[in-house]
Order: sequence, then C-alpha cells, then structure tokens
Amino acid sequence: MTDRHPDTPASLTIRDLRKSFADTVAVGGLDLHVEGGRLCALLGPSGCGKTTTLRLIAGLERPDAGSIELGERALTTAGTFVPPERRRIGMVFQDYALFPHYDVAGNVAYGLGRRANRGRVREVLELVGLDRVADRPVHQLSGGQQQRVALARALAPTPELILLDEPFSNLDASLRERVREDVREIIAAAGVTALFVTHDQEEALSLAERVAVLREGRVEQVGTPEEIYSRPSTPWMAAFLGEVEVLAGEARDGRVKCELGSLAVETKAEGTVEVLIRPESVAIGITGPPDATEAEVVGRRFYGHDQLVELRLPSGRKVSSRRLGFPAWHPGDRVQVWVEGPADVLPGS
Amino acid sequence: MAPRRPPVLLLLAGVAVGGLAALPAVYLAITIAGEASSAADAVFERRTLEVALRTVGLVAAVTVGAIGLAVPLAWLTVRTDLPARRLWATLTTLPLVIPSYIGAYLLVSAFGPRGALQGAVEPLGIERLPSIYGFVGAWLALTLFTYPLVLIPVRGALRRLDPQLEEAARAMGRRPAEIFRTVVVPQLVPAIGGGGLLVALYTLSDFGAVSIMRFDSFTREIYIAYQASFDRTEAAALGAVLVVAMLVLLALYARLRGARAYHRAGPGTVRPMGAISLGRWRVPALAFCGVVVAIALLLPVGLLVYWSTQQLGDGLALGSVVGNAGNSLLVASLAAAIGVVGATCVAVLTVRFPSPVSALVERLGYAGYALPGIVVALSLVFFGTRVALPLYQTLAMLVFAITVHYLPLAVGPLGAALLQVPPRIEEAARGLGRRPLEVFGTVTAPLVASGGLAGAALVFLHAVKELPATLLLAPIGFETLATDIWRQTSSGFFEAAAIPALVLLLIAAPPLYLLSEKGTVTS
Amino acid sequence: MSRHGKLLLALVLALPAVVGGACGSSEEPGSNDDPSTPGITVYSGREPELIVPAIDMYEDKVDRDVQIRFGDSATLAAQLAEEGDNSPADVFFSQDAGSLAVVDGEELLEPLPRDILERVPARFQADGGDWVGVSARSRVIAYGTDVSREELPDSPLELTGPEWEGRVGWAPTNASLQGYVTALRKVEGEDVAREWLEGMVDNDAQAYESNTPVRDAIAASEIDVGLVNHYYVAEAIAENGPDYPVRVHFPRDDLGSLVNTTGVGVLASTDDRAEALGFVRFLLTPEAQRYFAESSKEYPLIEGVEPDHSLRPLARIPSPRIDLSDLSDLQGTLDLMRDTGAL
Repeated sequence: MTDRHPDTPASLTIRDLRKSFADTVAVGGLDLHVEGGRLCALLGPSGCGKTTTLRLIAGLERPDAGSIELGERALTTAGTFVPPERRRIGMVFQDYALFPHYDVAGNVAYGLGRRANRGRVREVLELVGLDRVADRPVHQLSGGQQQRVALARALAPTPELILLDEPFSNLDASLRERVREDVREIIAAAGVTALFVTHDQEEALSLAERVAVLREGRVEQVGTPEEIYSRPSTPWMAAFLGEVEVLAGEARDGRVKCELGSLAVETKAEGTVEVLIRPESVAIGITGPPDATEAEVVGRRFYGHDQLVELRLPSGRKVSSRRLGFPAWHPGDRVQVWVEGPADVLPGS
Repeated sequence: MAPRRPPVLLLLAGVAVGGLAALPAVYLAITIAGEASSAADAVFERRTLEVALRTVGLVAAVTVGAIGLAVPLAWLTVRTDLPARRLWATLTTLPLVIPSYIGAYLLVSAFGPRGALQGAVEPLGIERLPSIYGFVGAWLALTLFTYPLVLIPVRGALRRLDPQLEEAARAMGRRPAEIFRTVVVPQLVPAIGGGGLLVALYTLSDFGAVSIMRFDSFTREIYIAYQASFDRTEAAALGAVLVVAMLVLLALYARLRGARAYHRAGPGTVRPMGAISLGRWRVPALAFCGVVVAIALLLPVGLLVYWSTQQLGDGLALGSVVGNAGNSLLVASLAAAIGVVGATCVAVLTVRFPSPVSALVERLGYAGYALPGIVVALSLVFFGTRVALPLYQTLAMLVFAITVHYLPLAVGPLGAALLQVPPRIEEAARGLGRRPLEVFGTVTAPLVASGGLAGAALVFLHAVKELPATLLLAPIGFETLATDIWRQTSSGFFEAAAIPALVLLLIAAPPLYLLSEKGTVTS
Repeated sequence: MSRHGKLLLALVLALPAVVGGACGSSEEPGSNDDPSTPGITVYSGREPELIVPAIDMYEDKVDRDVQIRFGDSATLAAQLAEEGDNSPADVFFSQDAGSLAVVDGEELLEPLPRDILERVPARFQADGGDWVGVSARSRVIAYGTDVSREELPDSPLELTGPEWEGRVGWAPTNASLQGYVTALRKVEGEDVAREWLEGMVDNDAQAYESNTPVRDAIAASEIDVGLVNHYYVAEAIAENGPDYPVRVHFPRDDLGSLVNTTGVGVLASTDDRAEALGFVRFLLTPEAQRYFAESSKEYPLIEGVEPDHSLRPLARIPSPRIDLSDLSDLQGTLDLMRDTGAL
C-alpha cells in the first residue's frame, strides 16, 4: 500500500481577508497562518465570521478582498479564483451533507472520480473504522458513524487541507469526548493540515494544536491553547475564554500590587495596570501565606469534579475561586485568599 | 446569506424557457398594440365587467369546493381507520383523468332535463328537475373533476406530518376536531394553496365544461369573440385580462407560501402515526366517500362503458382508435419529457438562484397554463407562420405548443423536490472535485427524480386530453383521441365518442397513479 | 437507485413514446391506399362524414391526395386570418357564409373566375365573387306528426305566443340559428329581434346544444316544434323510414325559411391556383352536387341537379331580401342574444 500522504503537508496562509454581506461585515481583515500538518481551531462566538471564513477558504464564497494560499498554490487572490472543485480541500459540514442516494462506500468514493479505486475506498473506511458497514445506506447509521463517513469522504481524495464546520455539535454529549479523540487520531494519521470551526471553548482547547480566536471578523489572538488561555492579549480575550477576574493594580519593577496581594508577573508595565486572574489561580484555605487576604465565602456552586466558590473581599468586591470538589466550602466560612498560579497584566485603562 | 449569481448558461436556459412559455402572452400584447383604444373599450364594457365578476365567482366557488372535498377525503384516507382506505384513496384520485368537457357532458346526460335522472323520477311525478345548466352545472363539473389536484398534495403532506405536534396538543387536552383545525390544517396550507392554485388557473382557462353548461365565463367570451370579429383585438384584450388575473392569483399564492425553506437538517425517519378511530362516524364517512366516487367517477365511467358496449354492438372500426391512441400517447409523452427538462431549468433557477428575473420567468411561464388553449394555439399560429414556417403544422410545433401550455405544471413538483435537497449537499459534491454540471447529474438529479416524474405525469395527464392546439397545429391527418371525440360530439354522435373517451381514460390512469403515489403537485 | 432500477425506469419512461410512435398514424380519413403525389390543402369547417366521400371522388379523378384539416368554421377562419400570407391552405370550405365573409374581409380570398360563378345563383355567392356556395340548407320549423298542421305558425316570430309555451325547441349556440337572428336584425330591425329573443326565453323555449338533439326531442315528444335546418329531418326520415314522426314546415315568412349555404373560396396565398380552382369546379359538378343532394339531403345549387324529392324545391322557398355576406355581423347578434338571456 503506497503512502499517499503528501510529503510535506501544505500550509494555509490567509491575508487580509474581507467579506461583507449587504451592510454586515462578516470578515473584516482576517490574517491567519496554519502550518502544514497542524490541527488548528477557529474559535469564536456566533456571528464572528468563522463559518464564512471556512466557506471562503473552500471557495464556496468569493471574498471582497484578500488572499488565500495553500501550500504553493494561490487559491484566491486579486487576480485568481480557483473554483471549489479544483482546490483539493476536503470539507466536513455540520450536518454531514451525506448523499442519501449512495451507500457508505458510494459516498466515500464520490470524491475519487468516476472510476474510483476500490482499494483506496477500503483503506479510508478502515482508517475511520467503518469498513464493515460499507454497503449500508447512510440513514441507517448512528450520528457518530455518519460523521465518520463524512470525514472519510473528505479524506479519500487526499486533500491538502481539510475543513470541519462545527463537527461535533450534532452529537450527544456523552459521545462527544470519544468522537473527538477518534477524529483527532484519524486526522493525525492522515497527516493532513486541518482547520475546524467551533464555538465550544472546551473543544477548541482540548483538541487543537493552535487556536485562533475570532472576534467580529478578525483574529483576536492566535496561539497554543495554553498561551491564549493563560496569557490573553486583550481584556476581551480574557473575558471570552473561561472566566477571569479583573483587578486594579499597581505595577513596579516586575511586581504588581493588588487586592489579592503582591504578585510577580512578567511585565514591563509600570504604574496603573489591570490584573487578570483566573478563578483557578485563586487559592483559599483556612490558613494561608503571609500576604493572604481575608475573605468570607458568600456562595458556592458544586459541579462534581470542581466547585466555584464566591468570596467577598474586605473591600466588598467579590471574586470567584475554582477549587477541586472537596473539601467543601460553605457560605459564611471565613477563609484566607491568595493567588497561586499564572496571572496576567495589561496596561491600565 | 445573499443568493449567488447563477451560471450564465443556466440563466440563459431559464430565460429561454420562460420566454418561450410566455409566447402566448407576447402574442396578446402584439395583437393589442396599435389597437389600444378598441382593446380598452372591449375590456371596460359593462358586460365584460359582469362576465369578469361572474368568472371570478366561479373560480372562487370551484376552488373552495375542490378544497372542501379534497381535505376531508385526504384526511379520511390517510389518517383514519376508514375501511378499505387504499381503495378509496385510489378511487377518489381517479376523477382527474376525466377531461372536464367529457365530464360536463356526462353530467348533463345524467342530470339534465332529458337525462337519465329525469327519466327515473318522472314516473314519480317530478316534471322538471332543477336545471343543471348555468353556474351550478359549471361549478359541479369543474369541482368534481379537478378536486384531485388538491387531494394529491394534501395526502402527501398528511403523510409527512410530524406526529409530535399533535401528540403535544393531545397532551394539552385539546379535542381531535380542535387539533385538526389548529394544528393539522395550518401545516397543510402549502399543499392546499398549491393545489388550489392549479384548480383556480384551470377553471380560469377551461372552455369545454363552461360551454356545455352554458355558463358565460371569460373563456366563452373569448371564444365567441373569435367567432364573431373581423379583428381579433377584442379577443386578445380579453385574453390579456386573463393573464392579469393569473398574475394576481400567483401573487396571492406567493404571499401565502411565504419564504420558507423546507430542507431538513439531516436524514430522519417520520414515525408512522396511529390511525384515528372513526367510531360512529364510520358510516357517514363511507357514505361521503361513496357519493363523491359515485358521481365523479362511477357515473361518468359507467355511462361511457354503457355507450361503448352499444357501439361495439353496432360494429365500430377499432383500428382508428388504436392509431389515435398512439398519436395521443406520442404527443403527450414528448410534451411531458420536454416539459420536465424545461421545467428543471426554471425550477433550479428559481430555487437555487432566486432573483427578480427568476421570479419573472416563473410567473410568465404560468401564462401558458392560464390562457385558454385556443389562445395558446393561435399564438403559435401567429409566431409559427411568421418565424418558423418550415416547422409550422409539424409534429414538432404541436408538441411545442402543448409543452408551452402545460410546462408550468411540472415546475411545481420539481421545485418542491429541489427544496428538499439541501444546498450543502451540492457544495459537498463540489468540494469533492466535481464540476457544477457533474454535480447536478450525479447528486441533484437523482434526488429530484421523483419530483421530475410527478411533473412529467402532470403534463402527460393534461397533454393527452388537449384539443384546440391539436386541431390547429397538428399535421394534417394526425388525429388524437381528443380530436376524435370532438369530431364525434360536434356532429351529434355523442355515443360514438364513448370508446375513444374510455381509451383516453385508460391511458391517463397510469400517470395519475404515479402522481398520487408521489403525493406532490406543486411547491 | 440500482443500475437495474435505472434501466427499468428509463424503459418505462420511453415506452409511451415508443408505443405511440409505433401505433400512431397519420392516416388521413378517406385517403386512398395508393400513395399519390400530394395535392392541395383544404381547411374544412364541414365535418368529415359530410364531405369525405366527395373528396374521395375528387382524389380518384385527379389521382392526387387532398390534405384536409378539419375544424370549426369560425376557428379556422381565425386561424387563416392569423396565418395570413403564410398559410399552407389553398382552399377554405366553410359550413356557413359568415365565416367565409370573415376571411373575405381580411382580404385573403381571391376572386373566382366567371365560369365558376356562373354555375351558381347570384344569391349564393359573394358580391365580389370571392367565394361561391356549394350546397344550401333552409331554416325550417320541424314538428311532431301529432301536431296539427293548422296550428303551425307562419313565422318563427309567432312562437313567442302563449299557446307555444314550453313546446318549442331551439339551439342558440348553433351558427344557423344565429344566422337567422342576424337576418332578423338586418331586415326587421334590432327591436324586433330583441323582442323575439326575449319572448322565446320568457316562453320557456327549450335550449339544446345543436340541431340534432332538437330533432330527436321532437321525435321523442318532449317538445312539439323546433327551429332546425331542413336536412336534419330529411336525413332522419331517410334513415328511419317514413314512419319517423317528424316533419318540416316552411314558414311563409321568408326569413323563417332563410336559406344559408356552405361555401368555398380559394386563398390568395395558394401556390397551386390551378389545382385549387379545379377542386372548386369539381364541387360544382353534377356528380358532386348529386352527392350532397343524396347523402346529406342538402340543396344542390347548380342547374340540372334536383334535390331529394321529399324536399320542397329551392325556387319555392321564399327568398329574403338579404345578402348572405351581411350575415357576417355575428358580433352584434351574439351580444344581443346574451343580453336577452338567449345565450
């Protein structure tokens, strides 16, 4: 069996992509680079333009301006527009868009042209674990199986890039975890560059090697999941990903003073700053380190594996702390509060 | 998301089809042009307005009547435990094969002043039955033989209903009748509207039934105008009024349909619904079905069979009937095939690339269906002799005329089927490396095949009964069953027309069956 | 769909066309079996049964086929008007003078040569000689044999009297009756015509689709008298024997026995004038005229051919002072008839 994977997976480069519909700007100057072979997520709230971006990359829409290059080929520039059928980009739609009039094998073979290589079809079905249902009509499959058919269909013609539009949103929550893993393994095994779109933060952070966060048609921040989570570049980013507490602080010589104590942070900022602290970094205990602050527990939400504890600081300000599920804290408890873990600092406004 | 621009070829094809289908309307415009004042006189004459009102009244009454018959019948045959449901389903659909002029004549034979019923009740002392002629007769003839146009789509819609909506209503304590009115009927509105539109347009353009029933409708005015005038301006002016009426109807229908998208998010199965028990309503329901079938189907067919057997007894040459039947089949099949191709262009244009142009193309196409056959025929005489003389009075032109007349019928089912195919699927196919035309052939076409079949069946059904265009445009000597029937009845040999009429019904029955299985008539 | 399914479907769809093409025919009714060279094209408002044997005779004579398009006279007239110079028709054979006048009015007919026009009395041809009558028929009052002859009126106008209530039948949609009404309007005036029509409606005159049912109704004693063309009764008598219970009465009033004619004209657009004229001439030969006299009981128009002996000779039918071409004002008649509720 020949190795049909491209030797060097193609990289995707998008420059200043713009697209408007009537009076709404869907994509307003988007720049993105995805290295070959990487699994990248486009994350953003609804209406941020992520699906439009995907469709622009696939060639299903024409942009108003900007360029899209894949590997060495220019797919969309000011002077060229390669139609979708020639882009060699695989696409997995949110509702799978399987052909109801073909069986599983027929769907997968569709992208291989009129005389499809049976061997290739079998190979891909094995890759996704569906070789045994090759003859079934697609409507007889479960949601997870259908999704894998869609994936196999997109992978069969060895595309240079594969796009996935909210691939897991139609699955039961219980399935999702496992399916995500399977999909990630399949894509990794195929060695293809992949870009998927999602509004689910957990999905993006857990699956992707790179995450690009979109806001109103532009990339707000791009980086590894850890990077963007612990070092958000803007207040909006910080607020968007997970929860964050924003405290006023005074920075001097690499240390910041705020209501939760004096913190060492990597920053060159001086003077008034904003301190961004995740609830996971807010530690509470009966006793604490010397610079800990006193606080009272005023609320608690229990999630099984963790709990969110709401505290009131002496100033009256409330902060949240995310702790493991035990020991349990209760409203009225008097505790010590301090910061343990990354904190970020932004120039004060 | 803004609609995309259509590929140039498709746009051209669609415009071409729409333009050709609009030829009758263009003919009217040309005929009126230059005689605008006399045309206006003809239109605004007091009697014209009277006739217009009367015609509107008939159209409204027939549409309401057809819906009133079709919806209960559909519900009874799909959702209840009516005995022999499938049989009733088929029987109640069949009256559509009977051409309205034959049906009208048979009604007169049965219920007219010299008809069978009169003979039966005379011994009882009833001298004269209330006259069947006029509005009542026309209404009866048209309603009885067009209601299946509503029945078929409503049955289809009932079969596709989501049971959960009604179950929720039941859980909230609503009684079945209320549930029917407030939950089921609103979901049927598109089907009722589509079928009702076809019935209304048919009534507008019908000539056979209203002339036999002596009801002064617009088409009769047009026909008489042709008979009477030196110049055809008046007739053309009246025809133009019909086109306007049709546009109004279409606009109403478009408003009713709204801009809903029908495609489902993914493949899903509809759970079969439990049949509603009729209980003590069983007998009245059976009686209702029975009466409708008796008058609309058994009576006409029975009379035809009776007369046919008499004719056979008299030794009639059957050879010509076979030949004529062959010709009817040929013309109707060709018209159906070409009509579907043309309708596909229009449907794809309208559904995938909606725009003012596509809407105009679709509306103009309906002009062919709303105008009486004689206007369509004369328009092609006009254009044929001026533009395409070598083709004049050839089979090609005849098929073309009939296709133009009935093409809009195929647009409906095709459009409905196309709406069921999510554009996503076509995009997926393109992403997999197939060019747009390939995508259409390998993905779209198979998925709308059933709509195409339904459209073909509808066109076939109407084309096989067509008369005026055949008389004017067929090659000399080319006889169809319809022309044969016409010839016999206009000579007064009504019974002699029975055998060709019966053969006509037989030919029309299979496409009708196909149509009722598909359960869709329009979008 | 499986491959087999697709093939099957294609077969099913193609089947009607194939069967149709195989079974279908362009056999011309009445055409000879020997293929001969095609000849002229005739648009005929007369029904096949009435003229096909005559056409056959002609085809035998000249050994050429005649292409006939059958239709309704008025519709064919409209078609000819629409076709104009491009019409494939050479000859228009009409059921009544009115349709001929319409076509003549569009200046589509060319004058016929004198030798043709001379064969037919002046009152049965166009003034300018553009068309010529072929056979004639008279309006009559048909009556059942159990109606006493003294009762019979001198004019259809009397049928509005109270003694005739509900006993009269007519066919308002029939071109011949409309022709009578037109004649009434032209000769006696609009008011008389209007009065008569209103009177007939008020008198519960029974309306039928055409002349044949009127005659049949008289035979069945549903009505006592009816306004028809003469040959309907003559035909029935010939077919059923002298016991047939219907007879004809020629009202003394000349309009009541209005004679109308079938007619033929040659189209100016013809490209075979000689042959077309030959056809017209043939229709006026004793042979053809005898055919019309014997088979359909119409009045022949040429000298030397007698109508069926049961018919009153044409010369003895009072002749109204009307030009048949004037009967082309159908519009006014139809308006009046609808206005009065007759139509």
